[in-house]
Amino acid sequence: MIRETWKKIAGKKTTEARWRPDGHVSGGIRPESMVWMFGTARTGSTWLSAMMGEIRGYSRWHEPLVGHLFGNLYYVRAGHRSKDEHFILGGEKDIWLRTIRSFVLDNASMRFPEVAEEGYLIVKEPQGSMGAPLLMEALPESRMILLARDPRDVAASNLDAHRKGSWTFDLERKGGKEKKETLADSQPDAFVRSQATRYVRDVGNAKRAYDAHEGYKALVRYEHLRADTIGTMRSMYSTLGLPVDEEDLARVVEKHAWENVPEQEKGEGKFYRKATPGGWQEDLTPRQVEIVEEVTGPLLKELYPA
Amino acid sequence: MTRNPGTPVRRSKIVRRLGGLARRAAAEAEKLRYRLAGGSGDGEAGVDAERVVWIFGSGRTGSTWLSAMMDEMDGHTVWREPLVGALFGNLYYERAGHRIDSRGKHFILGSSYKRTWFGPMREMVLEGAAARFPELLRGGYLVVKEPNGSVGAPLLMEALPESRMVLLVRDPRDVVASSMDARKEGSWLYENRGEEKRRGALPDRKPNAYVKKRARAYLQNIGNSREAYANHKGYKALVRYEDLLGDPPGTMKRMYASLGIEVGEKEILRAIEKHAWENIPEEQKGEGKFYRKATPGGWQEDLTPEQVKIVENITAPLLREFYPD
Repeated sequence: MIRETWKKIAGKKTTEARWRPDGHVSGGIRPESMVWMFGTARTGSTWLSAMMGEIRGYSRWHEPLVGHLFGNLYYVRAGHRSKDEHFILGGEKDIWLRTIRSFVLDNASMRFPEVAEEGYLIVKEPQGSMGAPLLMEALPESRMILLARDPRDVAASNLDAHRKGSWTFDLERKGGKEKKETLADSQPDAFVRSQATRYVRDVGNAKRAYDAHEGYKALVRYEHLRADTIGTMRSMYSTLGLPVDEEDLARVVEKHAWENVPEQEKGEGKFYRKATPGGWQEDLTPRQVEIVEEVTGPLLKELYPA
Repeated sequence: MTRNPGTPVRRSKIVRRLGGLARRAAAEAEKLRYRLAGGSGDGEAGVDAERVVWIFGSGRTGSTWLSAMMDEMDGHTVWREPLVGALFGNLYYERAGHRIDSRGKHFILGSSYKRTWFGPMREMVLEGAAARFPELLRGGYLVVKEPNGSVGAPLLMEALPESRMVLLVRDPRDVVASSMDARKEGSWLYENRGEEKRRGALPDRKPNAYVKKRARAYLQNIGNSREAYANHKGYKALVRYEDLLGDPPGTMKRMYASLGIEVGEKEILRAIEKHAWENIPEEQKGEGKFYRKATPGGWQEDLTPEQVKIVENITAPLLREFYPD
């Protein structure tokens, strides 16, 4: 009973709109206005979030990595300490989930003030998916998209993206760094295994969050999105309980259609590669297919039964 | 008819157990009182930032020993390795280091929004401390033993400038030698690890690669702690493990004076005596154990000449600064 009373009091005291005593910001983003997009890299999250972010009343938070921030320590670095009260993310969850909640809401409010009054914030967070269970538990009113793609195509896409001379090398160069050669060139099978393991970690945790989430949520498969973009999006908005204008939807789908990406920006070694579901059959060796299927077994069966 | 209270030994065990239960119950009640009061409230609450003393450095620098002695001082409480420095430091400096200076608003720890995330980070520490150690709301000092979170020292000290800081250093060659011993097959840390991490244990398979890895970790941890120490304007103390071992009372007294904390000499001596190397049972000491040899310069026996060279090359700037001889 005392615990329940505390929860009520603490709940009321959590002022999403607040700012630090010396700060600005008044009026904060409501957690139900946040739409989290989890999955893993190379599942089409850039494409989907670009379309969603361009619909009137929606803004896009591009890879804040807040899921990585909390998820990496909790699940990877110090997973064995979750029951240890001394650990910052250990012991009673109430203590630190509340801080995660205010951490996210304060930051979102300051960065996207236009969403505070009205509108929605799409949080594209594929690379922070390992922290999805923590974020959705801290923000149960939020909405969630689990964006899935065949792990064999994800592995093939990553293999291409990390080969010497690909777009990820250019990206690092732009950031003033020289990307080190990865296993993609020297030990492709080992690289594929590491990507499959990462898929299990990211999509596995995103799926756990999805299953546990009691609020609005939608499972979107990249393959469906490619085959029938407008239909899949319409159904997604409806499942998420979100308003969307038909004209807006048609406009963004058209604008971001594969056919409208300039030819010189598409192809092997580029960010926009082939967008062909099942392309793994050409891209991976039989041994690599075996590796991905072995590592991602249960998820593959669940998300892509045959 | 009265119950037989048992032998004096049993009675004293019961009394001790009841005492322990009462203390735990009192602590729980204190926590609930804190939470019923609403935790943070509208302004900043939690533990007073000035009463927080951070110990940064690196693993295997004697932080367990130093913090255990500090724990013996009146009003001191030790927060053992919360890893809050690792939480923020790993993402900020390692995983997404290339994104910290980007001017955009997207990266959660982006430098242009530092103030936005410093607030909740501060709250996570101070309120997290109050929820865990409510007795500190009435005063006293919280010693945060955080060697393995030292990568985040600059962020934490910038967000909590009122706090005090201890930079605990040890010769990197001894740190690497100690760390190597701890992770060898059959040693204490090896046994504590999961199957997967054991399989990947480098000290046995590729000792030189392991030495390189540890030396780099030292450079990052001590390097970042040093940066935090240099920038910190509040109370701070630099403690060298070798000095602590050579002259514990003198080093402890100097440290407390630099930290601006009053501690009685008798208390210091009592703590030193209690945690002296000589008072650790023999069976808990030696190769492969947590308490290994506590001998500065032991690296000369433990590392190969090639390994010494690796450590010296990687940690050169810090070695020159802290161990010029």
